[in-house]
Amino acid sequence: MSARLKDVIESLIFISLEPLTLEKIKGICSEFSEKEIQEAIQELTENYSSNQRGIQIIQAAGGYLFSTKSEHDQWVRRLLRLEQKNKLSHAAMETLATVAYHQPITLAEISALRGVDSTHSIKTLLQKKLVKITGRKKSPGRPLIYRTTDRFLTYFGLISLSDLPSEEEITKILDEEKFLE
Amino acid sequence: MEEPREYQVNLEVFQGPLDLLLFLIRKKKINIHDIPIAAITREYLDYLDRKGRINLEREGEFLLIAALLIYIKSQMLLPRESMREEEEDPRNVLVSRLLDYQKIKAASTLLREKEGKQMMLWQRTSLPPLQSKDEHEHSEVSLFDLAEAFLTLMKKKQQENFRLINGKDFSLEEKMKELIDLLKEKGYLDFLEYFYSQESMEAALVSFFCLLELIKAGIATAIQKSLFDSIEVWLRQEIPS
Repeated sequence: MSARLKDVIESLIFISLEPLTLEKIKGICSEFSEKEIQEAIQELTENYSSNQRGIQIIQAAGGYLFSTKSEHDQWVRRLLRLEQKNKLSHAAMETLATVAYHQPITLAEISALRGVDSTHSIKTLLQKKLVKITGRKKSPGRPLIYRTTDRFLTYFGLISLSDLPSEEEITKILDEEKFLE
Repeated sequence: MEEPREYQVNLEVFQGPLDLLLFLIRKKKINIHDIPIAAITREYLDYLDRKGRINLEREGEFLLIAALLIYIKSQMLLPRESMREEEEDPRNVLVSRLLDYQKIKAASTLLREKEGKQMMLWQRTSLPPLQSKDEHEHSEVSLFDLAEAFLTLMKKKQQENFRLINGKDFSLEEKMKELIDLLKEKGYLDFLEYFYSQESMEAALVSFFCLLELIKAGIATAIQKSLFDSIEVWLRQEIPS
C-alpha cells in the first residue's frame, strides 16, 4: 500500500510546475492519512538522495520539486548551451535583501535603508518575479508596498521566509569581517 | 603622513554613500559607535574629490551624506545651552543607518552564497533565463555582428530569383510599428528568419534600419545565446510610450 502512495506522490511532483506542497498532496491523496503521506515523502526523498540517481527531490517555497544535482551542473549547461546562469547584480541583490528582511516595504524605505535610489533595482526584481507589489501603504502619496515572492524562495532554495539567514548568522558574518582586518 | 595610494577608487564600485562610509570606517579600524566625524568626513570628501566630476543624477546621494556628515560635525561643535546628560549624540542618526545597512550587506552576502549553490541545480520546468540588459554578462551582439549577418543574408537572397515590384515606398515609421507589434506579439524575433521573410531588398533594408533605430533607442535588444547561434531580437520590457 505504502509503495503505491510513494509512486503516486512521485508522479505528482514530477508533473508539477511549482513546488508541490504537502497541503496539495493531502488534498489529492485524501484516502491516505497525513502520517502515511509524510512517511511516503520521506521514503521517496531518501530514495532519490541515494547516489544512484541523477536527480533529487528538494524542498523549496514550502513544497517539493525535482531538481538536478549540483555535480551535474556543467553537463546540464552543455545541453542548454548556457555558459552560466545570470547572477543578480550587486545592487539588485542588496535591494532584494532589503526587501526580504524589511517586508512589507516601500521603495522610499528601501532607498533610505540603502542610501541609494533603488528604482532601477526594484524594476529588475519585479521583472524577475523575485518581488511583487502587494498593495499601497496608507500614508501620504499611498506608495506601493513590496514583498518577496515564492519564486524568491525557490531561487535561494529557502523553504519559507523563516528559513532566511538568521540574525545570528548575520552577526557572525559581521564579526568575521572585523576579525579579518 | 599617509602613505601614497597606488589605486584610484572608483565611486561606482560602492553601492552608494553608506557603502563608501562603511569601507572608510573599516579601513581605519574605527568603532562604528564612536566615529571621529572630522577625520572620516575629510576622507570621504577626498574620495569625492578624486572622483572629479560628480554626476548629480546618479551620485547625488554621495553629496547628501557629505552634507549630513558636515551637519553632524557642526552640531557637535556648537555649544549647547543646556548640557543635559541625556542629550542625544548627533552621530546616532548616522550610526543607526550604518548599522542597518551593514546588516543588509551581510545578509546579501549570505544570500549570494545560497544563490551560488542553487544555481548549480536545475529544474525541468524552468526555462533558461532570458538575458536582459539590466543584468550584466550577457552576450549582446554588436552592430558589426548584426550587419554581417544581414549582409550574408542579402547575398544569399540575391542569388535567388525574386521579382522586384517597384513603386512601393516603405516608411520607416510604418516598419517600425510593424516590428514592434511583431515583437510584442511573439516576444522575440529570429533575426535571420525575419529578414528572410521580407518581400524585397528594399523592405529588408528598411527593416534593418528600423531595427538599428530600435536598438539605439533602447527599445529592442539583439542577443546571441552562444557563438554561431542565431541572433534573436527581444523587446525590452519597458517601452517608452
